[in-house]
Amino acid sequence: MITLEANYSKKIGLPGYSSHQFSVTLKSELADITQAQAESARLYAVLQSSVDHNIQQVGFLPNGNGNGNGHGHIPPVETDAWKCSDKQRDLILKITDEHKLDKAKVEQLAQDRFGKGVKSLNKLEASGLIEELLEQTGQSKPRNQRFSPPKAGGR
Amino acid sequence: MIAIIENGVGPVAEPAPPEKLKRTVSASRLNCWLQCRLKFYFRYVLKLTKPKTAALHYGSVVHLVLQQWNLTRWRRQPFEIAKLKQVFDTGWLDQGGAIDWDGEEPDQKISAWNVLERYFTDTPIKAGELPEAVEVPVEADLSSHGLPVLIGVLDLVRAGGRIVDFKTAAKTPDADMALHQNGVQLDCYSVLYREATGKRESGRELHHLIKTKVPKVIITPAEPMLEYQRNRLFRLMEDYRDGLDRGNFIPAPGFGCMGCEFMSECKKFDGGRHE
Repeated sequence: MITLEANYSKKIGLPGYSSHQFSVTLKSELADITQAQAESARLYAVLQSSVDHNIQQVGFLPNGNGNGNGHGHIPPVETDAWKCSDKQRDLILKITDEHKLDKAKVEQLAQDRFGKGVKSLNKLEASGLIEELLEQTGQSKPRNQRFSPPKAGGR
Repeated sequence: MIAIIENGVGPVAEPAPPEKLKRTVSASRLNCWLQCRLKFYFRYVLKLTKPKTAALHYGSVVHLVLQQWNLTRWRRQPFEIAKLKQVFDTGWLDQGGAIDWDGEEPDQKISAWNVLERYFTDTPIKAGELPEAVEVPVEADLSSHGLPVLIGVLDLVRAGGRIVDFKTAAKTPDADMALHQNGVQLDCYSVLYREATGKRESGRELHHLIKTKVPKVIITPAEPMLEYQRNRLFRLMEDYRDGLDRGNFIPAPGFGCMGCEFMSECKKFDGGRHE
């Protein structure tokens, strides 16, 4: 007996820098290895369809835009992951949260400077955005201290 | 980058263990490593600090004003020379301790502003050209090559991916020599740019601001980094990594000693190993 196990996972961005993900796994038994390719394609189609259908229900969102009961407005889905580094993403979120910056304004700043949203910024662009946010929040550092470890409440 | 020391004036800090220095590396550290490993030891391991020099302050303030000028374009704000002069005057006052000017501070200040005014007139960068990046810290994880994380701050990336580094100099540089002497730094910036954007830079430029009596601006263009240049940089980084492991802090007596701030410490240095 041959067992074929397939998993399909998807993560999507949500408003307010949130995201959610969903994955489904299926096992199928094959009598013959020659069935593997066709069965794999079938499982992929079933899994993708299932995940895509269910992931549209975004559930609870901290800013109250969610639709936990499956009804109401489904917010537009952004592109999946951040393009900058995890460290940069965390720093952007940290500055935004700690200084209670308006996320729409941060998004607009990214659009003004780079012609794209915050999540789409590459590492160079994200670094520029971070420098700008630090200056706006009075945390700008001299050049020779840019790589110092972040302090509590600061960078 | 205009010369920036990584240690300011002040008390001696805790020495940095080689393990810590091996985690990251910068163009400044690599150049110091190449120049003299004992100088590297004094500056980065023992963290000995020295008073800021007049030349360093000159370069820092020029750099500060150029940064502001680049940011102004990045923010789509109008060019206002009075505002830049204000940045210059404030920056000049912020000397962070006593500098031995030898009575030349007024002349040096005039010279620094004159060279900036010359740059604003002669620069090839048009007023409406939006930078891709201004003074951004970036890093490249080279662990897949067994190398430290490369870190650096890019002065300016012009539209289309041209990496610019600003320099102040007392005399007009020869183009070939300038590119040769700044090769490590330019190649570091290329590696950083490629890692941060996933693209190859379209070129590199050295913008020299020459502080002669009649100031000059010299632009030295360079091609994008080639494969052999990248390999050479990586070999240097390997040497840095391995040399730190061995505690390989040998002095390199030569022309560079004339301007070295650690001459007195160097003369007394006994080799550092006591078996």
